[in-house]
Amino acid sequence: MPTTPTVHFEAASTLAVVVSSNEPPLFLSDDLKIIAASASFCRAFEIDPASVPGRLLSELGQGEWGMPKLQSLLMATASGSVKVQAYEIELKRSGQTPRQLVVNAQTLDDGDVDRIRLLVAVTDVTDARAETRLKDNLIRDKAILLQEVQHRVANSLQIIASVLMQSARRVQSDEARGHLHNAHHRVMSIAALQRQLSTSPGGIVELRAYFKQLCQSLGASMIADPERLSIDVTADDSAVEADVSVSLGLIVTELVINALKHAFPDERNGTILVDYQSSGQDWTLSITDNGIGMPEGNEAPKAGLGTGIVEALVKNLEGEITLADAGPGTIVKISHQQGKGSRTDVSKAA
Amino acid sequence: MNNGKAVVLIVEDSALIRMGAIDLVRSAGYEALEATDADEAIRILESRDDVDLVFTDVQMPGTMDGIKLSHYIRDRWPPVKLIVASGAAILAESSLPVGSSFFLKPYDSHAITDAMARLLAP
Repeated sequence: MPTTPTVHFEAASTLAVVVSSNEPPLFLSDDLKIIAASASFCRAFEIDPASVPGRLLSELGQGEWGMPKLQSLLMATASGSVKVQAYEIELKRSGQTPRQLVVNAQTLDDGDVDRIRLLVAVTDVTDARAETRLKDNLIRDKAILLQEVQHRVANSLQIIASVLMQSARRVQSDEARGHLHNAHHRVMSIAALQRQLSTSPGGIVELRAYFKQLCQSLGASMIADPERLSIDVTADDSAVEADVSVSLGLIVTELVINALKHAFPDERNGTILVDYQSSGQDWTLSITDNGIGMPEGNEAPKAGLGTGIVEALVKNLEGEITLADAGPGTIVKISHQQGKGSRTDVSKAA
Repeated sequence: MNNGKAVVLIVEDSALIRMGAIDLVRSAGYEALEATDADEAIRILESRDDVDLVFTDVQMPGTMDGIKLSHYIRDRWPPVKLIVASGAAILAESSLPVGSSFFLKPYDSHAITDAMARLLAP
């Protein structure tokens, strides 16, 4: 039986497409001889175009394309049992650094079933892979650095908090001890914020989680009998920037400590509720207790607001603060409405 | 126990934090011992048999960090109670020996003394 010559005249259009393609394809016969190779392939892999047609793939260059794995994959493709998709292979040429290649191969389906031809696309991804590795290393290094910073900040806050506690244990005066304990609580409030920031991307703090952690910490250190007194937190899904949450956290700390100290004398039972709701740019933070309520007189409310810290913070947030009778108890409300200037009237609502 | 007081060994490489921890332990009524790293802690545990609780930091220089140290102590001196503190993100509870307590830094003094009281209760 006469053997059909392996060199067969392909459609001129097919050859033209292969040769002129920007992606480097190879057009192979089923015995892996090259029918055509694109100019871009020859350029990319330093193959003399004139030496290409009719040569076995494994004979190209210095034989570097004769990798057994590639050969067997292409033979399997030709026999129809396999379609090579995104197969990664390393091209090793003497005197050159290895290149990472991605190979795609399939049989050409142009209706001619007698002649099996292969269309093989080869992409050099060496540089892309190196860039990805570099980027991954940078991301990992950054994560490690951030952890280092977080660790140092936590240690620094620990030092400050424990210095305050040590001082508090040594002072004789109750008033001084009270101030030092308050200062300690404010430091722990900042610490809670630090923790939130370290776990949230982009320096944005989820207020519900932050307030809950804050109140849990305050309760743990200030409430001797959790059956008697408790702190609840309700908040919407708001997330705000670190600066704002520092201020809000300090306000909550002051007002909750206030309520714990003054609203429930004589072993009264009670609950403190911290609530935060927002709508667009407007927000309202309220701290409500069901204790004895405010004493009469104009001086009491001002004195009860953490020695001016709360007023200063509210002003900073461009908000308004109001105290009202919660019947029983007290409700302190801080609200911010877009467009309104800051007012910190401490007015006792009816 | 020593003279009726529980003995707490503090392991912490930062001098200021260690001072604070010693003050915390003493004001809670316990006797305080100190070590700056795991190796020193082990030397102390080898030299006396009255240590009731070890309060250790995690990040320390030397052969072992606080997690490895806590496992070593649990293996070698099972009755010794363990409290571990760290400034890094929350560790998996499972990476610490069973029955040990973990606290993030900065820790609240009351939380620590409450945990010590619970662990040291007869």
